[in-house]
Amino acid sequence: MAEVEETLKRIQTHKGVIGTIVVNAEGIPIRTTLDNSTTVQYAGLLHQLTMKARSTVRDIDPQNDLTFLRIRSKKHEIMVAPDKEYMLIVIQNPSE
Amino acid sequence: MNIYNISIPRYSRRHNTIKMSIPTAKLKKPTLKVTPSSRAMNISTSGILRLNRSATYARSINASVSRKSFCLAADSKILEKSSVQTPKHTIQVLDENGKDVTPRPVYQPDPAAVQSKHSKIFASDTSGGTMSDFYSTTYQTTTNASFAGAFTRSLFGSGSVSIGSQSIMESMSEEIEDPSSKRDNSISLSDVQVKREEVKELIQEEMLDDMVDLYLVESDTLCLLDMPAISVSVDSMEAESVKERNSRYTELCKNRTGNDKYMGRSMQTFNGASKTKEVQSEAITMADAATIANNWDMYDSFCSAGQGEVDLSTDTDKASIAEMIHQNHGPTRTMERTMSVISSSTIVSSSSSRMEMEPFVVPSESKPDPELILQSEEFQQHLFVMERIILENIYQPKLAAYRQLPTLEDPDSMPKAVPMVVSRREESSLDEEGPPTPALERLWSFSCELTTGRNVSSMAWNKRNPDLLAVGYGQFAFKDQKPGLVCCWSLKNPSWPERIFTCQSGVTALDFSASSASMLAVGMHDGTIATYNVQSREKTPVIDSSDCVHKHTSPVWQVRWINHERALSGEDKGEALISVSADGRISKWFLRKGLDCIDLMKLKRTRNDRFKRQVGEKERKSEALISRQAPGLCFDFHPTDSNIYLAGTEEGHIHKCSCSYNEQFLETYQAHKGPLYRITWSPFCSDVFLSCSSDWTIQLWRQDLFTPVLGFMSTQRAVYDVMWSPKWATVFGAVNEGRMEIWDLGASILDPTIVNPASPGVKLTSLLFATETDCVLVGDSDGQVSVYQLKNFTAGEGTQVGTLEDIIGSTLASQL
Repeated sequence: MAEVEETLKRIQTHKGVIGTIVVNAEGIPIRTTLDNSTTVQYAGLLHQLTMKARSTVRDIDPQNDLTFLRIRSKKHEIMVAPDKEYMLIVIQNPSE
Repeated sequence: MNIYNISIPRYSRRHNTIKMSIPTAKLKKPTLKVTPSSRAMNISTSGILRLNRSATYARSINASVSRKSFCLAADSKILEKSSVQTPKHTIQVLDENGKDVTPRPVYQPDPAAVQSKHSKIFASDTSGGTMSDFYSTTYQTTTNASFAGAFTRSLFGSGSVSIGSQSIMESMSEEIEDPSSKRDNSISLSDVQVKREEVKELIQEEMLDDMVDLYLVESDTLCLLDMPAISVSVDSMEAESVKERNSRYTELCKNRTGNDKYMGRSMQTFNGASKTKEVQSEAITMADAATIANNWDMYDSFCSAGQGEVDLSTDTDKASIAEMIHQNHGPTRTMERTMSVISSSTIVSSSSSRMEMEPFVVPSESKPDPELILQSEEFQQHLFVMERIILENIYQPKLAAYRQLPTLEDPDSMPKAVPMVVSRREESSLDEEGPPTPALERLWSFSCELTTGRNVSSMAWNKRNPDLLAVGYGQFAFKDQKPGLVCCWSLKNPSWPERIFTCQSGVTALDFSASSASMLAVGMHDGTIATYNVQSREKTPVIDSSDCVHKHTSPVWQVRWINHERALSGEDKGEALISVSADGRISKWFLRKGLDCIDLMKLKRTRNDRFKRQVGEKERKSEALISRQAPGLCFDFHPTDSNIYLAGTEEGHIHKCSCSYNEQFLETYQAHKGPLYRITWSPFCSDVFLSCSSDWTIQLWRQDLFTPVLGFMSTQRAVYDVMWSPKWATVFGAVNEGRMEIWDLGASILDPTIVNPASPGVKLTSLLFATETDCVLVGDSDGQVSVYQLKNFTAGEGTQVGTLEDIIGSTLASQL
């Protein structure tokens, strides 16, 4: 438990990390470093995108599964680690 | 109208009272009235005729049959009366020949008693024509009454008597006979019970001895079932008559149309009056259900079908599937599942996805504890991966440079200036103009808050994974001792070590094993040697030498895993851990019921030979020595011959030893005036080795010469570490207190090619070359391990072995 906390803290303090969100399976944020509205927006949108991505991966090969999703945009990079019970989202600005 | 002669069925003869018919003359009047509708009757009666054809005597019974029962009753009354009046006289049985074969009754019933019974019976109402009445009325009467009863029964029973009921009729008639006869018997018996018994007794007493003649006669054939055929065979006798009849019928039918005899009549049926009725029901609510059956959805269903088949209940009825279809309140995934149930054709998959649905629905309904999520193993793993990815984003250019990949600039970011370390070249070199000066570029440094303030004492690369670095932290000086630390760093995460091991005392030496790549041997300041398994997450060493009897009592300055190719006598072939410590012993450690060691060599103190040479002088009184051993500080095994090794002592001597001899040195090289900190054989030239010591010098030796070939000195600082470059034979790096130097002997033998000063206040303590890239790692006393890249640096093509040998040769030549 302490390790998890430590790691989370460390992630948040890395260079360029804007926010960290942990969302449960229903889309309710458990941990977040951003404000509520942004969190909810990210969680909702990324949930749908993750589902679509997973569906795509598995349609091609049903034995495969999605492990990580990274979206690189002009301003940020959004990294999503999906799981059955939760979703870990980190937004980073890598060029800072 | 037909008159039938009907005879009594045979068995009626058995009865005591015989029902006799009325004299035929009288009886002829009432005739058997057969209604035209009862055609079957004809047949049936004829059947009866047939039955009784075989009777030996015929009786003619005229039964009057009519629809109205009272008529019958009246007739029967008439019959009764007549029968009552002349019970005896009228009964006459005539056989074929006219002989009177009237059977004589066995006993004469009392007419008075009988009569009363009769009257009683007749008093009962027979107009209703119930069967029971008929039964009672016909108890003594002629069979015609009973037959009448039979007929009436049939009449009452059905309008038309089917052919098949003839048997019924017969049986009925027989039935009727029976009860009636029984009743006869019973009644008569009751009247004459006493007499009969007497008669019986009489018989028994008298006739016991008499011979009784018994005649066995074959009775008539009883026909129990006779179903007359609808069709007759062409060959049969009746065929002609049947054909005639059929043809007559067809003619009749033909004649019907257009015949005056037949008149068409129309009929009208009344249609019932219609009535409109309105019904109103609630509107049927429709709900849309839609889903997508994906490839993976079906795959999942089939997969879990294999697992869920054990739990399957055999009666997966349609109702359950219908249930699933209408389950609208579940999350969309269940909808998809239910629709996929429909889409799939087999019941197995449908029932299995029903099974599969349940485990899926449950977690979504029961809210999982957020704490559980945070503590789960997968979350930790995901965090780990996420951190690495974030860092990869941050360090990507540096890591690319490390790997000697071209660094691509991020098009979205602004380019920033990379700090360059300026190098100075003291000697005028050939390449003043032209190629840029070689320099060091600092890429990053391995450090975290755990390591700040600690002194980096040793570093080692993992033999199998060249991206894994083990760094030992421990103070050199005796007075600053604090618990040591070993960190395993991965290139993928420069900000936090992968493994952290805390040791009870400062770590002074480290080495990774080559055979089992996850074993890390650690030597400590208190003389303990421990091995750790870096693969596991345990914080404790695999084995510790603290229980060993022969353990080192002084700091272990170097440990090395050496692979003995040649098995010495009594020793195991393979890898062994060799350590040198300040107590003057070089020990070999092995695992035998715990960690144990044997001494390869005891480093004895050697007196300075030069003093001895001074002839004439009295030998100085040797100083009181604390121990006879000289503290060993470093050693190195020959790269090709694992038997030979060099050991450096605190005295400044280098001893060449062999594993076979543990008493004597093979050679001793004396040149240094201070403790030797490092000895390394050249990886390319097997005769050449380097040594560095605290006397500010680095010496280059050749194995066969007792004086160093070359000596290097750049500053007046103790040189802590020296290492040959794994890539070029002429290049080595050295670290002294204040700076880090890269020497290229091909370029200059007097000055280092690249010099990198340390940050102020920080001492550089250790040096390590990266094996596959042009990078150098430098550890300092602040706990930082900085990674530098050699830029614009090349010593030339190939390994430059020849160059080194040339240099050595030319130097030697110049010395002579």
